[in-house]
Amino acid sequence: MSVNLIETDKAGLQKFYEEIIGKFETYAPVEQFGKYDYKRVTKLTECDPDSPIATTMSVKPLFFPKTSKIMKFLEDSSGTTLSETEEEGPELRVILGVKHCDARGLQVLDKVYNWDYIDTDYQEKRVNTVIISTRCDKAATHCFCTSLDYDVENSDAHDVRIVYGLDGKVYIQPITEKGGKFIKENSSQQSAAGSQQSIEEIKKQYKSFEASFRQKMNYNEVNAKLQKVFDSPEFETISSNCIGCNTCAFVCPTCHCFKITDEKIKDTGVRYKSYDSCNNGYFTLMAGGHNPRPVKYRRWRQRALHKFVYYKERFGENLCVGCGRCAISCPVNISIFDLVNQVAKV
Amino acid sequence: MDYSKQIQEIASKLFAENKIDYFVGYKQNSFDDSQVPFLITDPAEIPKLVFTNRSVFNLANYLKPDHTKRKRVGLVVKGCDSRALNLMLTESQVKRENVYIIGICCEGVLNEKGEKAQNCVECVMPDPVVYDEIIGTPSGKKEYTVNADIKELALMALNERADYFENIFENCIRCNACRHSCPLCYCAKCCIDQETSTLYHGANTSSGAMHALMTWSLHLAGRCVDCRNCEKACPSHLPLHLLHKQNESVIYENFQQHLAGMEKDDRGAFYKYSLSDPDDFIL
Amino acid sequence: METEVKEAQGKIVSAENPGITAPADWQPVIMGILCNWCSYAGSDLTGTSRIQYPPNIRIIRVPCSSRVDPWFIIKSLQTTADGVLISGCHPGDCHYISGNYYARRRFLVTKKLLNFVGYHENRVQFSWVSAAEGPKFAKVVAKVTADIKKLGPLYRYKKENF
Repeated sequence: MSVNLIETDKAGLQKFYEEIIGKFETYAPVEQFGKYDYKRVTKLTECDPDSPIATTMSVKPLFFPKTSKIMKFLEDSSGTTLSETEEEGPELRVILGVKHCDARGLQVLDKVYNWDYIDTDYQEKRVNTVIISTRCDKAATHCFCTSLDYDVENSDAHDVRIVYGLDGKVYIQPITEKGGKFIKENSSQQSAAGSQQSIEEIKKQYKSFEASFRQKMNYNEVNAKLQKVFDSPEFETISSNCIGCNTCAFVCPTCHCFKITDEKIKDTGVRYKSYDSCNNGYFTLMAGGHNPRPVKYRRWRQRALHKFVYYKERFGENLCVGCGRCAISCPVNISIFDLVNQVAKV
Repeated sequence: MDYSKQIQEIASKLFAENKIDYFVGYKQNSFDDSQVPFLITDPAEIPKLVFTNRSVFNLANYLKPDHTKRKRVGLVVKGCDSRALNLMLTESQVKRENVYIIGICCEGVLNEKGEKAQNCVECVMPDPVVYDEIIGTPSGKKEYTVNADIKELALMALNERADYFENIFENCIRCNACRHSCPLCYCAKCCIDQETSTLYHGANTSSGAMHALMTWSLHLAGRCVDCRNCEKACPSHLPLHLLHKQNESVIYENFQQHLAGMEKDDRGAFYKYSLSDPDDFIL
Repeated sequence: METEVKEAQGKIVSAENPGITAPADWQPVIMGILCNWCSYAGSDLTGTSRIQYPPNIRIIRVPCSSRVDPWFIIKSLQTTADGVLISGCHPGDCHYISGNYYARRRFLVTKKLLNFVGYHENRVQFSWVSAAEGPKFAKVVAKVTADIKKLGPLYRYKKENF
């Protein structure tokens, strides 16, 4: 099987990055307040694409921002007029240093954004973005991406994949057609058929990465059990110290709930779409005051089952990608991995 | 500072004598060597209770009704936590007979890097101010010092400081973790919660974040005990202590050296007044 | 250490954003929050005595100066106001006995915090004006308008424009 890749070293990788940053609108993990987030960069020194520490917010805000204007309106004596907001035209942009779990999250979101309503903003951004991913060498304590229902080793979620081999070697591999075209047209280093040795090194790196996971589970077993344990008391035990903030849904690469609000000054206004979270006590609050899900553990149960059961039933894919961001960002470190495993044991 | 054994003994005794419905303590975190809050109703879980110098979260937060449903609670508090609990008692959020307080004389907690946390270095009251049982030896009230970060910021030029804060407000994602983890934010309809109030910009804009964080900090002024629950809960790691410590230093300097929650029946600084409060800035 | 406010080439420079300027005839918008029993009555007296004062102030009436929640000030500054004036009864004369004592504690902390996050300290000002002090109210408004005119338009932390 022939695999095309660029065999280079650390210096070659820096050059690859610098060429891209010089030519395109590039986003990469930038450090601020002791954490990383994807921000627009104009120089390689501003960012750290190969940092082993994952960003706090996933790559989701670059496709589904924390707040976006969807419409403008003007109310005057002649009635209400709606108008488009000024959006920048779609230009090719590149995101560096995307962890595979983030890229996989976008593939999962594609299903819901192409379902009953085609979200054209999201679609345009997806089509015009090239995702360059660096494969992790080692799993963090909160990761469990290899335990779920997709193939991490041969995934096509990213357009270009960078793997660190032995002795300082770096392999840059175009995975999708878009990635291949991007490298052909924009990189001074071109890919060639990889040698047997480099293909084996890449396989070996994956094996050592897979072995480094602390958290592993049998996904099919857990998914099957979860469909029958709606009344399990374990949901209440594990979520008892949850404080009901919105953090887990906001940092998650696949959560897509939103709220619509209007803001007005005098007679002009803007309609915004912003993040929302099903863990919030008021998520199900309706006009009139009725709230069907006011109790904490029921919201947690809905969240866990939506991620591991309902989305899979409807779209055939697990809504959780195993990045563990929810657990690490949670003020009390509640782990959805622990929750589904404990519930499935019953 | 390892009091796990003593706490487990007290919890067993309380459940055996049927004095409590919930016990709130700490258990080991599954991701690193810190501890996280642990609510138990079943005495079989008592062996999981731990208390060391990595037990940071202010547990008085769990006395709010949606966590412990106004039932009888036994809980573990350090110095700053007990000041927050004292304020909650004064403000009638908790009935004194429904709480069994285990006070720990705190020697300071460590952050993820293993250094003593900043609020512990500047601590004014490591001993519990209200308790039913006390563990450890009291070391007495310490002298108040102005926070080092706000002293540094006060020396910056106005627009530089404004740029710094604007950057902070832009990174807020309005998750409300700060408000939900603060023991003194117990309003059922919080004015900065976007779902309960449209005053504060329902959208997650940065001007909305500025409005919300500033108002939150001013509603907490004179009541904040510097437990840093908010800062630790923030997923964007915003330095929220800057706003609260600034208010605390103005209040300490101008209003008879008032510090929140120190005495029994002490309310916040804005619930009392003195005829000699400073007035010269008013025309 | 406040930035020096310069008048460069006949233009007014915004105190918090040195890159923003306004023409010399720019007029500020000032939000006035007056307590019903003293300051609002005092401003009425200014009017009936036909004493002139700058028209930049837009007045809102509240029952007592302690009704003023800090978010009123922040929201005004975030929308169209360039400055805020809050006025109440003299200490000891509050219609509700002690409202203004509580209010002045809150005012000091709010003023210091707003300065800390980057507003110039003269953007928000407070005064005690009684119902009989018609001329004083006019002087206060003139002083505040002049102060804010020197500070220039407020651009920092404004609500996103449409």
